[in-house]
Amino acid sequence: MNVMLSIDGLEKSFKDKKVLHNISFEVRKGEIMAILGPNGAGKSTTIRNIMGIMYPDAGSITFHNYEGNEIPRHKIGYLPEERGLYKNVKVMDILLYLADLKDYPLDKAKERILMYLKKFDLEGKEKVSIEELSKGMGQKVQFIGSILHEPELLILDEPFSGLDPVSQELFKEEIRSLADQGTAILLSSHQMNLVEEMCDRLFMIQKGHKVIYGTLDEVKTEYANFKCTINGRNQLQDLEAIADVERVEQHENSATLYLAKDVNPSQWLKLLPETLIINELKINRVSLHEIFIDIATGKNLLQEAGASDA
Amino acid sequence: MRNSRKVAKWEIKRNLKNKSYIIGLFLTPLLMILGFTLPGLFSSDEDNSELTQVYIHDELNLYTDIESIADEIGLNWQLNQTDLSEAEATSALEDSENTAYLFLTEQVLTDGVVPVYTSEEIDNAFMNEVQLLTTPLQTLQLEQLGLSPEQLAVVSNGVVFEEVSTEESEAETGEAGLETASSDDFLEKMVPGAFAGIIFISIVFTGMAIFQSASQEKKDKIAEIILSSITPTELMQGKIIGYFILGLIQVAVLLVFLVPLVIWKFDMPIMEYLLVPETLLLTFIALLGYLLFAAVFVGIGATMSDMTTAGNFQGFTMMLPFLPFAFIGPVIGNPSGIIAQIGTYIPFSSPGVMILRISLLEEWPWLEIIIGLVILLISIWLCMKLAGKIFKVGILMYGKNASPAEIWKWIRA
Repeated sequence: MNVMLSIDGLEKSFKDKKVLHNISFEVRKGEIMAILGPNGAGKSTTIRNIMGIMYPDAGSITFHNYEGNEIPRHKIGYLPEERGLYKNVKVMDILLYLADLKDYPLDKAKERILMYLKKFDLEGKEKVSIEELSKGMGQKVQFIGSILHEPELLILDEPFSGLDPVSQELFKEEIRSLADQGTAILLSSHQMNLVEEMCDRLFMIQKGHKVIYGTLDEVKTEYANFKCTINGRNQLQDLEAIADVERVEQHENSATLYLAKDVNPSQWLKLLPETLIINELKINRVSLHEIFIDIATGKNLLQEAGASDA
Repeated sequence: MRNSRKVAKWEIKRNLKNKSYIIGLFLTPLLMILGFTLPGLFSSDEDNSELTQVYIHDELNLYTDIESIADEIGLNWQLNQTDLSEAEATSALEDSENTAYLFLTEQVLTDGVVPVYTSEEIDNAFMNEVQLLTTPLQTLQLEQLGLSPEQLAVVSNGVVFEEVSTEESEAETGEAGLETASSDDFLEKMVPGAFAGIIFISIVFTGMAIFQSASQEKKDKIAEIILSSITPTELMQGKIIGYFILGLIQVAVLLVFLVPLVIWKFDMPIMEYLLVPETLLLTFIALLGYLLFAAVFVGIGATMSDMTTAGNFQGFTMMLPFLPFAFIGPVIGNPSGIIAQIGTYIPFSSPGVMILRISLLEEWPWLEIIIGLVILLISIWLCMKLAGKIFKVGILMYGKNASPAEIWKWIRA
């Protein structure tokens, strides 16, 4: 696939504190690439470096298919994490201004604005002042502003924060369809469930270090071991005695068994002792969310895997 | 530059669609017109009511002379001749207001004292005005002594101590030569200065809105979105240009109201006075002044998230445009004095002081003006540079005011 953006060996320090360590990844045409990580991991800093709002101490940022050293701002759509719009202006005016700054033809922009307003349930709001919109509506207008000029690379920093589930769905669909049309999308988020459903590849970052980098499937096979949830009152030592169980979390009547890597679920199930009380049994891979929580809380079942991979 | 133009266009459009800007646009000239006309209305009323009744007991046949003097100077007198004696006059004055009796008797020529009886209520200036009549009386006195007209001319010229400095002697002789024309000359010189002053004040005050505009960028958290399309420098330049044009719009509106008013009030060929080379230099200075303050405002504005939470430091910079006002008194008192010179060399007072001095002085102190301009240009360059650095970092610090220590750090970065 066509690589649109490569980040190579990015380093950044604030005062004496190093916040990015050797960050490298790339974003390809038509894919959704997610940067995941807890608050303060360095997601927004990475993105701000890409956008030229900050300058890295070391490393390179390359926009492919563009000549010159300038950031091809007109080809990039950017939705920052901390975002807002001028308060006392009309929706249409601000969007046209943003399009104009991107050198996008205004008549075409006007058409697209009306089309997107309709799509996002804001039909007829183009003459309304921004301050009269609800927060969610404002978010939608900002999103429209970032995709209005048909960017080839779209960078979204926490696009779902502050959105209700219906709007989240709308955003997800639109982002997916943009990727399908060939837009390269770099998306940062800490809402794992959403990301898990839509991203093609992901880069997980913790305290400025790379933790995981790969396609969603790769990551899941590589890092997300199986876990088995059993409803029923059992003794902790009985559960721990089962083969290939690395860790057990027990709450009253249910227990979650974290299994070792490379366990074959069907074979493992046969090893369960007959004395076990099972009201309900569920076996599935650890979700991104759980990997994420583990990393964020420092339990880090992946530490070894991550370290060996790095 | 193209992007700066877009930002400028946007700022202009945004303000022109803003009700408070429009109101302000027309309120300023209205206030100025009120300022011009209201005192005039009041004082002209007073003039009419306080016409001083002057009765002259004339034994010296000077009535017509006095009449013509009063007329020429424009004294607010109603002249009457009277035959009343001094005693009768005192009793007549008891129940009258704004009335005076002058007794020009033969005795005046020998004593040199004119008895003046006034009512209790009389214009404060009357006793000063009356002194103007000494000249014809003295002439008459001297004639009585039998001097020839030539001798008379010499004596009545009197002796005057005149300071003649080498630089200004030319100017002074020019001035003395055309006494009646000098007030016109003065106006002629003041018009370009006043014009530049109006431009300066209007664009600098409109420019103060840059403050708000820059801090609003932070408050509305839109800076990062804008900066994904253009560079901070372009955004800053755009704002400076935008508010400059908004200031010019204010000037245009002001002039549309003011010029007819001035023509009506003062009846002078204002356009003729205005279209002189001085206007160009003065306007150029006003423009430089704007650039200097715009740089300061845009930089400081980027350090504040809100006008209401501005610290002392930011508040202090808001006062900078008012610095020239501190110099107005001394500069008018002595346009080439040391204070005027200092004012010319301090960048923040220099535009205002220079405009004032150039309008007041006959001979321009070219060297000082050039030094002042050079200092101003360097300061502008420096302030723009600093503002750029501060703006770049400050504009992205959402919801926070920067302390002077932080600002210093950004400048050094």
